[in-house]
Amino acid sequence: MIVVQFILIAAFVFLFVVAIRSRTAHSVSASKKLFFMAFLFVLVVAVLAPGLVTDVANLVGVGRGTDLVLYLLAVAFGFYVVNDYLRGQDSRQQLHRLARRIAVLEAIERYHIDSRDETDPDTTPRAS
Amino acid sequence: MPVYNEAEVIGSVVKDVLETCPTVVCVNDGSKDASAAEIVKAGGYLVDHPINMGQGAALQTGIEFARAMPHIQRFVTFDADGQHLVEDAVRMVEMLEAGDLDIVLGSRFLGEAVGASGAKKALLKAAVKFSNVTSGIRLTDAHNGLRAFNRHVAETMEITAPDMTHASEIIELIAANSYRYQEVPVTIRYTDYSTSKGQASVNAINIAVDTLLRRVTRQ
Repeated sequence: MIVVQFILIAAFVFLFVVAIRSRTAHSVSASKKLFFMAFLFVLVVAVLAPGLVTDVANLVGVGRGTDLVLYLLAVAFGFYVVNDYLRGQDSRQQLHRLARRIAVLEAIERYHIDSRDETDPDTTPRAS
Repeated sequence: MPVYNEAEVIGSVVKDVLETCPTVVCVNDGSKDASAAEIVKAGGYLVDHPINMGQGAALQTGIEFARAMPHIQRFVTFDADGQHLVEDAVRMVEMLEAGDLDIVLGSRFLGEAVGASGAKKALLKAAVKFSNVTSGIRLTDAHNGLRAFNRHVAETMEITAPDMTHASEIIELIAANSYRYQEVPVTIRYTDYSTSKGQASVNAINIAVDTLLRRVTRQ
């Protein structure tokens, strides 16, 4: 039991240090950092005093602490998947805007298109 | 005209359109075949996507390139596989000029779908029902690639859906921007080539899910 506790707490401390030291952490809002720290704190407490989790589980009508942890994990995973999907869409959209800008600028230059010249009657591509 | 691996037909389609339309812009969406060379040879403007981004993304790129040419006042989106008729496009542009319309949409069900299977027709009709419910705009054909619109629409069009979902998104944009729209019957040539290149019917599920997700995440 002591060995497990040691390993788990070491893992949580490692996560904490990585999260705090990573450079990207600057872009993460303070509330998210606080939430993460609170989350780690709860994990440490749960590891040191497993009985507490079962007490909380009984309080909300769940038989065993492990079950409660499992349910919470399932919910957290669901949030993660949705969040990840939305973030993926965002970055895909940024990539597409960037690629489109490159493609359009490149073509405008290749065809010598002047966007201010409203009288241009020549509408077939001029080779260059 | 969005182009993805259409080297076999794109040359003749571009030439065909050029006979009546002065400017043809082709967006090569990262084709792995000789599409780009065929476009240039046929006399179309070539805009080259550095990576494959999907049909909706290619449409948006084509619109942005075309609107950089100030003398262009009428815009038509046209499928690269030769399933649309140039006469239909011409008729739609004439309607734009005649009536107080911002955008004219082609419809298979007001016109005739040559060579479409019964299952394909049923699926397309179901897609229309879905689109009418989710967008609040009543149309008979939600996923027709033939559209004609004026400069105002071209300036304000902002398609973000990269894939086939863009057709539903355009309809949502019509509702959101209150474009004056009308549907006209057009003929679709379902050739062996276009059928083999076209959408697998399973994709309808993707489109439906994406459309619902877009509604949920945008508002």
